[in-house]
Amino acid sequence: MESVLFGIGVTALAGALATIAGAAEDTESNIGSQGDPNSQVQLAPQMGYIHRIYNKAVSGEPPAYGLWVTISAGVAWAFMVTGMNPVLALVIASALAIFVQGVYATTAYLGRTASLAKFEQPVYIDVIKSVTTVTMAHAFVAVFPAVSMCYLIIAALNHPFPLALLGIVWGIALGAAGSATGNPFYGKERQYQSQKFGAGVPISASGNIVRYAEAGQRSSLDNGWFTAKLAGPASGICFGLIVFFELWRTVLFESAAAGWGAIIAGVVLILIFMIIDRYIEVWARKNYGPYKSESAEEVSA
Amino acid sequence: MTAIEASSSGGEGINPVASVIAIVLILIAIAIAYFIAPPVAVSALIGVIVGGLLIGFGVHFVPVGGAPAAMGQSPGIATGVAMLAAGAGLAGLFGGAWAAANPEFGFAIVIASGAIGGGLLMAITCLMVNIVYIFGMGIPAASGKVAKDPITGDTQEAYKSQGTEGHGLPFISYVGGVIGGLLGGAGGTLIYYELLKLYSELLPSILSAEAAQVVPIAVSLAGIFAIGMFLVNAVLAAYNITGTIEGPHDPKFKRFPRAIIGCATASAVCGLFAILIVVV
Repeated sequence: MESVLFGIGVTALAGALATIAGAAEDTESNIGSQGDPNSQVQLAPQMGYIHRIYNKAVSGEPPAYGLWVTISAGVAWAFMVTGMNPVLALVIASALAIFVQGVYATTAYLGRTASLAKFEQPVYIDVIKSVTTVTMAHAFVAVFPAVSMCYLIIAALNHPFPLALLGIVWGIALGAAGSATGNPFYGKERQYQSQKFGAGVPISASGNIVRYAEAGQRSSLDNGWFTAKLAGPASGICFGLIVFFELWRTVLFESAAAGWGAIIAGVVLILIFMIIDRYIEVWARKNYGPYKSESAEEVSA
Repeated sequence: MTAIEASSSGGEGINPVASVIAIVLILIAIAIAYFIAPPVAVSALIGVIVGGLLIGFGVHFVPVGGAPAAMGQSPGIATGVAMLAAGAGLAGLFGGAWAAANPEFGFAIVIASGAIGGGLLMAITCLMVNIVYIFGMGIPAASGKVAKDPITGDTQEAYKSQGTEGHGLPFISYVGGVIGGLLGGAGGTLIYYELLKLYSELLPSILSAEAAQVVPIAVSLAGIFAIGMFLVNAVLAAYNITGTIEGPHDPKFKRFPRAIIGCATASAVCGLFAILIVVV
């Protein structure tokens, strides 16, 4: 009983760490414009819209976070082998991984923006100075909890994978959850803030991103402020739920029904999430309604 | 045919010559394993090939909208096919590897654990995508590929906003995402489990060590090969999809036989190398 209680406590802590990691990951990727909406940041100068948005999407979020979390996990493991205190090792290793992220961000911004030279998009040195360090700070807040969570899973829950391997697994999953959940909000609600609320961006508007703020030109730092209100927390909840329920069902039900307990619990959880999804889908159809009359469409068809 | 003449959609049919070459390559890989490795290696290679098939097939179920989905211009999850599938499959591998570490659990429990791990990640991710679309952006889900949702029968056309191909995840896409996660998780775990068994059996004699001593090496090797092969198969399937797919109701879904042949071949060749490192 005591071990189950301990396991649930660790599960809750790992879920909380994952929530922080997910929220910071999405905010970092939006400040650095690393998600899919960056296609519009890259496209805008080609359509004649010069901007001051950061642009570091030379890699998707999942492989980038796979790299950074794995570097942190590998270095932390090496420190721990030499006898360093695990907490100190995790902090220092995460800081070292963030220097790699900083190099990545700087070279990616310079490379991507320089490729737009023939469309007269300048490389802004002050943008590199002001935004790169902010993405690094957010990346630290994402990577440190993620690698700490991996360490907890091994040290307290006895997962067989070594730390670096768990870093790859959960780093990629962190990037996948963050980009899947957060990207639409950054892309539609922020980059195309001038478009109507409650509808997708018409394809004809592509490239015409919002470039001006209340005073002066819009900065990528404002994008982080804006998306931290919904996309960041939503990504955090997404990744937190994934980690929490993955651990929870195993810790609590693994020994039930000759090993099938955790699987049955997983099936039940999937069905519950499916029912919630169907409920909100129907709720949206009822409350928002169709964009055009269905009967008129049938007549015209 | 030049690149300009080639269809941007990548074509639909199966190339018979390429398919025959692929099958010959698979048979050669199995034959090499049969003649130079112990029998356990052949069964491991077949497990790796089946795992690769499951991953390649599963990726076609995952509703991925890429960059257009991030602007609410097309349905699906706003990220890349290979990366989303990898995220789900690796979460499945995490669960499967945990179950495989328990000696009391057999093959079925290990594979089912991996499948549920991948399915659970997709179930939560797809739900959060719809929550952001509906409550954050005020946009209902609508498919651009079918007039009615094949599962619920909901009409789709009127719920598409002007100038877009749809948005969000209609229920069929949600179910497709979960199925894709289940198949990806099961496939990745199958590769891991087969290689783990092989390494656990052969490494003690190679390293002149006790069985318990080689467990960390066997786990690490099998884990990294499973992750690598997962990415190989996910990327191959993503090339077959060419960009975005809504799920099992998307016309692009019919291309999956071609991906299965490609993934089986890639898995056979990669699997052979994974076997040779402990045999030669």
